[in-house]
Amino acid sequence: MNPSTLALLLIVVPVGSAALTASFLRKKHALATLLSVLVATFYLGGALHLALGGARFESSYSWLKLANLSVDLGFKFDDLAALMLSIVGIVGFCVHIFSLGYMKEDPAKARYFAGLSIFMASMTGIVFADNLFMMFIFWELVGFSSFVLINHWHEQNGPMNASKKAFITNRVGDFGFLIGIILCYYLRGTVNLSELSTQAKAGGAVLSTAVPLLLFCGAVGKSAQLPLQVWLPDAMEGPTPVSALIHAATMVAAGIYMLCRIEVLMVPEALTVISWVGALTAVYAALCAIIQRDIKKVLAYSTLSQLGYMVTAFGLGSLTVHSESGAEIVIKAGVGAAMFHLTTHAFFKALLFLGSGSVIHGCHHEQDIFKMGGLSKTMKVTFLKFTIGVAAISGFPLLAGFFSKDAILFLAYSNNKAIFVILALTAAMTAFYMIRMWIIVFFGKARSDNAAHAHEGGFIFQAPLAILAILAIVGGYRGLYPHGFDGILNLVAEAEGPAKLGMLVVSLIVLSLGAGIAFALYRSVATLTQRDPLEAKFPKLFVSLVHLKESFDSLYSYYVEKVQQRFAMLLNFFDLLGIAGLLRIGAGAFSLLGFGVRALHVGRLNVYLYWFFFGVVLLWLYAAGIF
Amino acid sequence: MIQSSLFAYIGLSAVLFAIGFIGVLIRRNAIVIFMSLELMLIASTLALVAFSKYNQTMDGNVFVFFILTVAAAEVAVGLAIVVALFRQKQTIQVSELDSLKH
Repeated sequence: MNPSTLALLLIVVPVGSAALTASFLRKKHALATLLSVLVATFYLGGALHLALGGARFESSYSWLKLANLSVDLGFKFDDLAALMLSIVGIVGFCVHIFSLGYMKEDPAKARYFAGLSIFMASMTGIVFADNLFMMFIFWELVGFSSFVLINHWHEQNGPMNASKKAFITNRVGDFGFLIGIILCYYLRGTVNLSELSTQAKAGGAVLSTAVPLLLFCGAVGKSAQLPLQVWLPDAMEGPTPVSALIHAATMVAAGIYMLCRIEVLMVPEALTVISWVGALTAVYAALCAIIQRDIKKVLAYSTLSQLGYMVTAFGLGSLTVHSESGAEIVIKAGVGAAMFHLTTHAFFKALLFLGSGSVIHGCHHEQDIFKMGGLSKTMKVTFLKFTIGVAAISGFPLLAGFFSKDAILFLAYSNNKAIFVILALTAAMTAFYMIRMWIIVFFGKARSDNAAHAHEGGFIFQAPLAILAILAIVGGYRGLYPHGFDGILNLVAEAEGPAKLGMLVVSLIVLSLGAGIAFALYRSVATLTQRDPLEAKFPKLFVSLVHLKESFDSLYSYYVEKVQQRFAMLLNFFDLLGIAGLLRIGAGAFSLLGFGVRALHVGRLNVYLYWFFFGVVLLWLYAAGIF
Repeated sequence: MIQSSLFAYIGLSAVLFAIGFIGVLIRRNAIVIFMSLELMLIASTLALVAFSKYNQTMDGNVFVFFILTVAAAEVAVGLAIVVALFRQKQTIQVSELDSLKH
């Protein structure tokens, strides 16, 4: 099959499945589920075929023409897109399979699977988009599907509020994104990624700091960077497989993918801002993760933190400035490291989330880690796979996270020492909070009835976990990747000689520091109560971390309630007084006139005749010149 | 002599017109109103004939011929409307023909 036809099918088929489900299969849950899983299987096959088959193409056609503005829909399929597409395909497939078990009893299964299909289609659109307008369209569509899926249990207040928060927070970032696209079009005359790249190579293109920073706003919203990170932890109200697919592995990574797409627009100032935003997000989220009690919230903050890593990696990419043909910028190393970590993170974070889904399912929907405990005995298989995930994210040697995190740390070490220190600290905290959660969940004795009666899910739970666990182990070896991804993975900067040893030592120190503190603090796990030992031993630290976590939410709610709401009320008052007031006076006058005229209309012929006579008299008087 | 008879004719015409006009205004029966209208028309033709005689020209008489022709056609149409109205509503009292309002 023609590659671009297949690419089109990868968008059309999931949309078709969702449309079919929405129009005919709303109540036929089994059929809708089957359809959606078949689509995910087709998608996986198609994505891998495209990515590994070596097909790299670009095609586009004009969708909307307004004067000299042409909005195109087109496909740009290069190594970057191939890598992202494979991740979406693999994780999407695993999540579909896992959902079969996890959502088995759900009364609205059809809607859930239709939502997953819409998400797959919109994510594919972002991956394939060859211009920023098209990317924006699908960008909004993933936002929509995220909204629908967070809000899956819409009867409850939590998911409802979380979905609204996610949607509205994303709108803030997307507004900047849209302005950035328009500004880019204004300055460069095109938003086509390949044309932008050609312009950058030719030199002399208008360089602007505003464009990349405005476009970065989109990534700040979607990838939940500071200060728009507030929606992601709340988004955990959605079903756990959704958190794995959308809020860990793919959609939130779309921001990093988008940054890699627009690398040609970058300027040094913008990159500095981006790397600092990423670093601050990484450390902030790691601090918040330390005190979480909800297993999914720990993972959510850890996702935030890892996304911060990727954004930093992108921002730290090396810059080469050629003076003859204007500033030419090469930031490939950043793209390589960011995408490499995105890939490994997608695998081990999806593994962790699905693992937590398995745990939550096993513990009868208990999410508080202090009410679990002792699961290493009752859920052996999940325990094993979860351990692989924890080790991978903590940077345990020879697992996926170790390599990708080291690549980023090396990049930071060679470009910006301050960020390097922050990232190293974050890595230590990552090891700490992951191992803290791992100990509390799996060791000691069961701290609630639900945990005591924990049971392992069936094959449908374990198979996706197994796939992801294998990928989380091998994902770090770039040599094992098919050559189709070389264009991206070969960009990862490699430490050489003594630096390599240095990096190894640093990452081992960081890992053992974090893990050591966690083991020391939670060693008495057998006697653990429902109170966090961290809170008991360091109450001041604990309280300040709680404050830190809540600072953004309380700041935003203060702003919304006290500033925005009052401003809105003021505007409302002026609206009532001015516009609506004038309108009402005008409308009132005409309505009064209408009352008068209506009284004249009595329906009797004689009365009309009198009026007629009156009119004739008036006419006569007028003709006679009396007035 | 001629002048005084002109006044008499104009006076008769005015009286007939006034009677017709009052009839149109105060009567409730559609046929009577119609007759009153015709009376007004005839009053005006009477005045035209009188003026024609007074001026010793045929202009007025020619007018009258046309008016009578048109009036005959108008009566035919008007009476047909009244008959149709009666068939529809079983009444020709204009006070009851108020479906525009109610």
